[in-house]
Amino acid sequence: MRKLSRLSAGAWVMNIVVWVGGAFMLLPFIWMVSSSFKTTEEIFQPATFLPKSLDGGNYARLFSSWPFSRWIINSLIVALFTTLLALMITSLAGYAFAKFRFKGRGKLFAVLLSSTMIPFPILVVPLFVITSRLGMTNSLISLMLPFIAPPIGIFLMNQYASYVPNALLDSAKIDGAGDLRIFFQIALPIMVPALASLGIITFINSWNNFLWPLIAIRQELSMTLPIGMANMLTGVSAGSAPPYGPAMAASTLVCIPTVAIFLAVQKYYIQGLTAGAVKQ
Amino acid sequence: MMRTTMYKKTPYFFILPAYVVFLVFMFGPMIFSLIVSFFNWTGIKSPEFNGLDNLKGIATDSVFWLSVRNTLLYSAVSLFVVVPLSLLLALALDSPHLRGRLVVRAIYFAPIVTSTVAISQTFMMLFNTNFGLINRMLGVPIDWLGSRTLALVPVIVVIIWRWLGLTSIYFLAGLQGIDRELYDAAKVDGATTMQRFFSVTLPQLRPITFFVSMIILIGSMQIFDEPQILTGGGPSNATRSVVQYLYLRGFTQFRFGYASAIGLVLFIAIASFSAVQMRLRKESDL
Repeated sequence: MRKLSRLSAGAWVMNIVVWVGGAFMLLPFIWMVSSSFKTTEEIFQPATFLPKSLDGGNYARLFSSWPFSRWIINSLIVALFTTLLALMITSLAGYAFAKFRFKGRGKLFAVLLSSTMIPFPILVVPLFVITSRLGMTNSLISLMLPFIAPPIGIFLMNQYASYVPNALLDSAKIDGAGDLRIFFQIALPIMVPALASLGIITFINSWNNFLWPLIAIRQELSMTLPIGMANMLTGVSAGSAPPYGPAMAASTLVCIPTVAIFLAVQKYYIQGLTAGAVKQ
Repeated sequence: MMRTTMYKKTPYFFILPAYVVFLVFMFGPMIFSLIVSFFNWTGIKSPEFNGLDNLKGIATDSVFWLSVRNTLLYSAVSLFVVVPLSLLLALALDSPHLRGRLVVRAIYFAPIVTSTVAISQTFMMLFNTNFGLINRMLGVPIDWLGSRTLALVPVIVVIIWRWLGLTSIYFLAGLQGIDRELYDAAKVDGATTMQRFFSVTLPQLRPITFFVSMIILIGSMQIFDEPQILTGGGPSNATRSVVQYLYLRGFTQFRFGYASAIGLVLFIAIASFSAVQMRLRKESDL
């Protein structure tokens, strides 16, 4: 208490404003979790902040009325493989740009830079045509492919690969190690922070991805979580009440992993985001 | 002999997978999309060249212009509300006088990683006319999602809620990168807190402000998820964004040519915005 009273008036105002704002930021989370435990009758009554009792019915209904466990598995498969492939592809490329001199290097790097200017939504029509011609509609692979070489990941990897001491690479070369072995055994371990950052960001982006899966997936059993969830509310036949309770249960479950990952390894996530923004 | 040739080929092998993906899933589709913009293609019938007809159609398409207005509104809110607000937030989060700093940071940052679908559905319930918490708190049954003007409010609220933390992370990183000696020098010169903010903090944050504005502008021009879930673009297109309109034309009406032409306009807009910003950045020597 003594410590608090030492704050100046300005600091008091700041604390109050930030904390009240924080309460508003928390409000949707609380509402989401609280609504997920409300019974259907309770949801369609004037809003209360907390549920009367902790009713798990919405969660049970979620798994029995919709293929929710299937959506979880699909989302996990897509997010994990997208992340794995992205890490492999970007670390190889980032390392090559950092540690090799080769013909066309400058031009290829310029291509990389220009690719960051392409907004994803303008690609969805051709991507849809390509994947449907290849017979990949409703396949989880079509959800991964457009995101396995994020240009920003290559920049991040390039930056960390440049920290790998050349002397270390040279001595390995003298010992007769091949380029691939040098990459895996010497460079990659030094690039772990970048791998962690990009891995977390890619996983979360894939887990939450909406626009492309919405277009590429039509079958209920091939859906990922966001598409399945959107379908729960829009696929309601006229006249019947939308299943808000199960939708909030789904929302709670879909947010838990990403928020938990973020809280656990905030440092890497933030480093990945800000790597290109702040000049060292 | 073998080794030197190996050495020369290695970097190309290392970058090959990335460039194959770029070619097949980015540059290829982009060129494809560019060409399709000049065709009448419904997906079922074979494409027919129709020159500038799609672009001419867009020029007089009132729903398209409405979606442009909505998108610009979302961008303006992001730029002129989210960016300044997050700068102030970052200052607070950086302040040693803030109690429970780590908890507060976690609260403001967590929304960044939430699913747009989950959060938009949550806000849809919060803003519900009859049983939403917002109206309960206000004490009046306002039809937020059903009114042409009011429906923009929930969409904007979700944008602010989800993006505030993201931009403040960048500002916070920028603040932490400022050389402490600059503040000490200003203090020695007798500058007040306010003067230090305007003469040291703000100028030092200029590069990061440019960067953040660019990310936010480009991101907000591509907005889709939030209005798609909250309002479906309605009522009568009042909240529809440009990307939502592209989606509507492309994937509910399967007018691929027209949708691609919308994409072309979006691409030109985004590219010119970023070109202008890069130019400004160069001129101000950042």
